[in-house]
Amino acid sequence: MADTYHDVTDLVEKARAGNRASLEQLVDHFHKDVFRMVYYRTYSPMDAEDLTQEIFMKMSKSLSSLKDAGSIRPWLFRIALNRVRDFHRKKSILSFFGTTTELEAAAQATAENHNNPANTMMLKEFQSQFRKLTDSLSQREREVFMLRFVDHLGIREIAGILKKGESTVKTHLYRAIKKFRQNPGLHRLLKGELL
Amino acid sequence: MNSKNLHLNEDQVIRSVVDENDLTATVGSHLSTCLVCQGKKQQIEQQLSTLGRMARELAPLPRREVRLPFDKPRSLWSWRPVFVAGFAAVLLIAGICWYALVTTSQEKMMSQIMRETKKDEQLMAEIYALEEYAPVDLYPDISAESDVGYFDEFLRFVSPLEANQNAV
Repeated sequence: MADTYHDVTDLVEKARAGNRASLEQLVDHFHKDVFRMVYYRTYSPMDAEDLTQEIFMKMSKSLSSLKDAGSIRPWLFRIALNRVRDFHRKKSILSFFGTTTELEAAAQATAENHNNPANTMMLKEFQSQFRKLTDSLSQREREVFMLRFVDHLGIREIAGILKKGESTVKTHLYRAIKKFRQNPGLHRLLKGELL
Repeated sequence: MNSKNLHLNEDQVIRSVVDENDLTATVGSHLSTCLVCQGKKQQIEQQLSTLGRMARELAPLPRREVRLPFDKPRSLWSWRPVFVAGFAAVLLIAGICWYALVTTSQEKMMSQIMRETKKDEQLMAEIYALEEYAPVDLYPDISAESDVGYFDEFLRFVSPLEANQNAV
C-alpha cells in the first residue's frame, strides 16, 4: 500500500505506463476516501458503491491525461465530484418515485456496517445533525466545507477541483464555518453529550 | 489593535482558521502572542477536526471491490465490425468487377455483331451481283474442266491466239 506522496506518484507513473498492479494499488489506496466522499454527497451506500465503481473506471481510462502525477488526489476528487453532480441531476428527475428516505437507509446501512447496536443511536444522530448542517449551507459552501474538513484537501487543491480562485474558496469556507458554529445540536454531539 | 486589551472577535478567529496568513499584521501579531485567542482558534479547529474524524469513522465502508477493465484478448464477436467492413469491401469490389465485365463483354458483342453484319452485307452484295449478272447456262458447261486437253483445244477454237492464227 502506498503511504507517502512519492509512493503514490510512483504508482501513478507506473499505472500510466500500463502496469496493472500499480493501477490496482492506486485503487486500493483511494477506494475508501472516494467512497466516503461520494457517500456524504448521496447518503446512499448503494449509490455510493455504484458511483465509486464508475469513478475508478473513469480514472483508469483517463489516467494518461493526468499531466502531473503528484496531483492525482485532487484530480480524482474532481472526477468524483462531476460524477456526483451527474447523479444528482438524474436523480432529481427520478426522485418522485422514491419510497424510503435516504437518511433512514443510510443510518441502517451504517449501523449494519459497524455491527454495533449500541452505537446505532449515535450514528443516526450524527448523520441527522451532519445532514442538517450541510443542508443549511449553500451548494458552494457545502462543497468547500466538506472537501476541506471531511476529505482533508487543501485550499489550493479545492480551488483546483472547483476551478475557483483561492480567495473565493476561502470566502465560502469562512461562511460555512460560521454556520457550523451556529449549529448547537452538532456541537453537543461533538462534545460527546449524546454518547 | 491594542494587542493586550482587544482580543480577536469571532469573525477574525474564523478567518484565522481558514487561513492565518490572510489576517492583517496587527491581528496576526496579536494572535501569535495571545493565549486566549489561540485557545479560541484551537477550539474551532478541534471541533472541525472532530467532525471530520467522526464523519470518517461513522461512514459505512465499501462492501464491493472495484472491478477494473481487463485487457483480455478480443473475442471473435469483438471483431464483428472488421468482418462486416471486410464483407462490404468484398461486395463492393465484386460489384465493380461485375459491372466492368458486363460493360466490356457488351462492347465486344456489339463490335462482333457489327463485323458479322458487315460480312453478311458483303456476302449478300456478292450474291446479288452474281444473281444480277449471272452467265448464261452455256458458260458453266464451257468452263467445266472435265478434260484439260479438250479444254485447251476448245479455247483455241473459241479465241484463236495471234500465234495460232499465224500458224493456221
